[in-house]
Amino acid sequence: MNRRRWWVTGTGVLLTAAMLFPVYWMINVSLTKASDMRKSPPNLIPLDPTFDGYSAVIHQQLPYLGTSLLVGAGTVALTLLLAAPAGFSLAKLRPPGGGLLSLLLLIAQMIPSIVMAMGFYTIYIKLGILSTVWGLILADSTIAVPFGVLIFTAFMSRIPGELLQAARIDGAGTVRTFLSVVLPVSRNAIVTVSLFAFLWSWSDFLFANTLDNGGSLEPITLGIYAYIGNNNQQWNAIMATAVVASIPAAVLLVLAQRYVAAGVTAGAVKD
Amino acid sequence: MTVQVSRRLRTIGVAVATSAAVVAALSACSSSPSSSSSGAAPASSASSGGGGTYTFWDPYPQYNASSAWAKLIATCGTQAGVTIKRTGYDTTALVSQSLLAAQQGKSPNILLVDNPVVSTLAKAGALTTTAQNGLSTGSIAQNILGAGVIDGKTYGVPIGANTLALYYNPKILSAAGVDPASITSWATLTAALAKVKATGKTGITFSGINTEEGSFQFLPWFWGSGANLTDIGSPQAVAALTLWTTWLKDGYAPNSVIQDTQTTAWQEFQTGNVAFAENGTWQKAGAATMGAKVIPIPAQNGGAAPVPTGGEFFTIPVQKDTSTYATTAKIVQCLSSTSNIVTTDNTLNYVAPTQAGQQAQVSADSTLQTWVTAVGVAKARTGDNLGTKYPLISQQLWTAMQKAESGAATPAAALAAAQTAAAAAINK
Amino acid sequence: MTTDGSGARSAERPRPWAAHAARGRGQHARRRPSRHRGQWAAWGFIVPVVAYLAAFYAYPLYRNIDLSVRSYTVASFVSGDAPFAGFANYASVFRSATFAPALINTTLFVFVSIAFQFAIGLALAVFFQRKFPLSSFLRALFLIPWLLPLLVSASTWSWMLNSDSGVVNALLHAFGVAHVNWLTSPNWSLASVLIANIWIGIPFNLVIMYSGLQSIPADVFEAAAIDGASGWQRFWRITFPLLRPVSAITLLLGFIYTLKVFDIIWIMTRGGPATSSTTLAIWAYQFGFGSLLPDFSSAAAVGNVLIVIALLFALVYIRVRSRLEES
Repeated sequence: MNRRRWWVTGTGVLLTAAMLFPVYWMINVSLTKASDMRKSPPNLIPLDPTFDGYSAVIHQQLPYLGTSLLVGAGTVALTLLLAAPAGFSLAKLRPPGGGLLSLLLLIAQMIPSIVMAMGFYTIYIKLGILSTVWGLILADSTIAVPFGVLIFTAFMSRIPGELLQAARIDGAGTVRTFLSVVLPVSRNAIVTVSLFAFLWSWSDFLFANTLDNGGSLEPITLGIYAYIGNNNQQWNAIMATAVVASIPAAVLLVLAQRYVAAGVTAGAVKD
Repeated sequence: MTVQVSRRLRTIGVAVATSAAVVAALSACSSSPSSSSSGAAPASSASSGGGGTYTFWDPYPQYNASSAWAKLIATCGTQAGVTIKRTGYDTTALVSQSLLAAQQGKSPNILLVDNPVVSTLAKAGALTTTAQNGLSTGSIAQNILGAGVIDGKTYGVPIGANTLALYYNPKILSAAGVDPASITSWATLTAALAKVKATGKTGITFSGINTEEGSFQFLPWFWGSGANLTDIGSPQAVAALTLWTTWLKDGYAPNSVIQDTQTTAWQEFQTGNVAFAENGTWQKAGAATMGAKVIPIPAQNGGAAPVPTGGEFFTIPVQKDTSTYATTAKIVQCLSSTSNIVTTDNTLNYVAPTQAGQQAQVSADSTLQTWVTAVGVAKARTGDNLGTKYPLISQQLWTAMQKAESGAATPAAALAAAQTAAAAAINK
Repeated sequence: MTTDGSGARSAERPRPWAAHAARGRGQHARRRPSRHRGQWAAWGFIVPVVAYLAAFYAYPLYRNIDLSVRSYTVASFVSGDAPFAGFANYASVFRSATFAPALINTTLFVFVSIAFQFAIGLALAVFFQRKFPLSSFLRALFLIPWLLPLLVSASTWSWMLNSDSGVVNALLHAFGVAHVNWLTSPNWSLASVLIANIWIGIPFNLVIMYSGLQSIPADVFEAAAIDGASGWQRFWRITFPLLRPVSAITLLLGFIYTLKVFDIIWIMTRGGPATSSTTLAIWAYQFGFGSLLPDFSSAAAVGNVLIVIALLFALVYIRVRSRLEES
């Protein structure tokens, strides 16, 4: 029985290796000298590595990484703040127009990002939040909020009515019920939505480029442009930035994996 | 059932009305973009010379705050009595960013843009002319200034110019028995490529990508055949494109040129397995490291082909507070003064736009003479009064190039379709 | 997954009303205040999202529609006064020679992407159902493609698929297979961007389908095993039908997100060579940001066509879902 499980592990490792091969290639390119970039056939392992890319990243990109983390955290907070109550309401409180709202949230996800970015530019100038971290957090949350509401609605509709009745009998109002009963039970959904929101904001480039260019704090996706000049691109530095930028997100992923698995679609399956 | 329905309708009505109200409020704010509505840029409200912050946008994100370029800008700002806030943008994003900013009345005080973009921004009414802003253009070479002149008015001054030439790897050529001095026409070049291929090396790399870079790289061959951008379907144009497709078919140029940017084409050259690379002035430092030399791109029947000018322009966008123009012009003049511009151009690997500047550059580095000569006979892409027609033509040109290079159509068919589409777009 | 309340609500509603009608007016009047408070709370919880939607989605959408029904040139874009053009921009978009290829490419790109992303994601989710050493670590690693900035993923695939110096061709060569011009041939460019897009989309599908599988109670499987069903039968007869609601929402979201995809294609081929990998999203981007003389009106028109297509699909989904719920 154990041997069989190790076979399965072996297959798993092979599949993962196949899936991650491009990531390995990214690391390979990050260590390649500029003159070897177009070598044919390419080196499968970096035989003549250069650490110029990484030294450039360590010296220049850390502030950008910090900003990305800040924007990510802000996006998660804002998304949860907006999506969790809305999900609860749609799942349990039956507001009038709830069906319409769900449809609108679906439509909201259909709008191409470039349309959103151009619209935001105008709004932000009016509000004076162009080139600020807050503006970017607001923009990045638009990627995650509709999806977050979807997840929360699905999850929270599975909460047994008795739990909410019990709270009501104890004299709790709707808000109290939400904070003390619903949220603690929805931990998995919260982690899931947070993960999606963080990842989407971490890899966003379009909003950052349109709305935060020139701000005092820029995220890592703009930091990469330090290596993309108007005539020349430093590919090893670009890939090195990506490798370094992936590390915090990867750590988060491994930690949050457990909650995500149990949380995303509880309630999706009829039994 | 009726009560349910009417309640539901009422709720939907309220929701729609709220949304409509919010949308209307926001659009009311934006319906007058050129009126000084919200707190307009405190930047430009500073009176000339009295301090304040001016904004500066350029397409050099690779230069951060500690670079010589950023320090130069700060110095020129201090000399004019203001602080400058500089942002480096990705060059492809700068057109749309500038237009969006102009629409909202938030243009930067100084905008440094790639030269073919100047006519687009001028047509949009986003830029001031030298008559309005007081910039002087006296000593600048006319052919370099050309991209900034539209309908007789000058909208900017160049920071420098770069252009294209043919780099070659002397080792490969001598091994193949080719004398670089003998390459004076298309026929002699193709013959040289054949000899190089016979020794097992690749002949030539260039950038045939479906962006402005591709058109830029194709223009020396296009103009070298005698073709004109007003008719990209002419037999001469077809001859130029056929030159490239024949090289591809015969294996003198690698297939990846269809997708290469000028950087990646250069990286192929750097592997040491390619004889020729059509590339620009900005690679000369890298070329020196690998021992590559340079010759002018040959025209079809002899002589040097006309080459397009690259390089950015300082422009002064329209501001609500017109008193800022004087200070802004002072800053630009400082940045383009001979000594400053020579330093900048040496960093960027561009050629200076004035004769004085060029002489200073050549006396410091004599290998620049080839480039100075090349720039001397270069012409602007938006010149010949093409202005904003150029982007429309260019887009069709690179589409035709791709079709022919990838074998999807013959050069003649591709260019004929491109000319029809370009004419239609221009006359729309 | 009840994404909109309407399905369940219509089942519940007759009951309270019927009860009230039976009890008579007096008690009905006494009940009203608490129900109203409930309604206000329900609304209070969603008002932030409604305002958020209006400000940040409705407004850009309104501006996009405005851009598409007027003829904007760069000059009128800046000054804001463009003539009303009605349907003209849409007409010229539909008449354009690029429309048909873009539509066909979009259809192919979306359906093939989703089919493979879903199938592979589901297969991997089933695979990871078993408990074996390292399974949760490996599952987490599978999500890495998701957190790379698209600029980097797309560039990495570009490098890998390069005709002359790409590792994919090098590996094919090692196996004696002929060299393929992945990104530079009109026959292969769409396939290349498909491969990259499928790779990027697998993690999303894996995560969602895995959780879907996790929420199926284990006793369902045990019962089937006791009844002598084989692994394959168990999957098709029991697991897959139980996953229908999850699958439906995954496919719908996959459809909407894939329709919007443009970074990957833009960075890898820019829609070329010619129009062989141009989708509607790429075409819109080309109009607005791909040339030195932007044509925002046409870009907006193509963008709206995209939204309408997504909308039609959403309506199909709602139909399908309500039929699923009835059965």
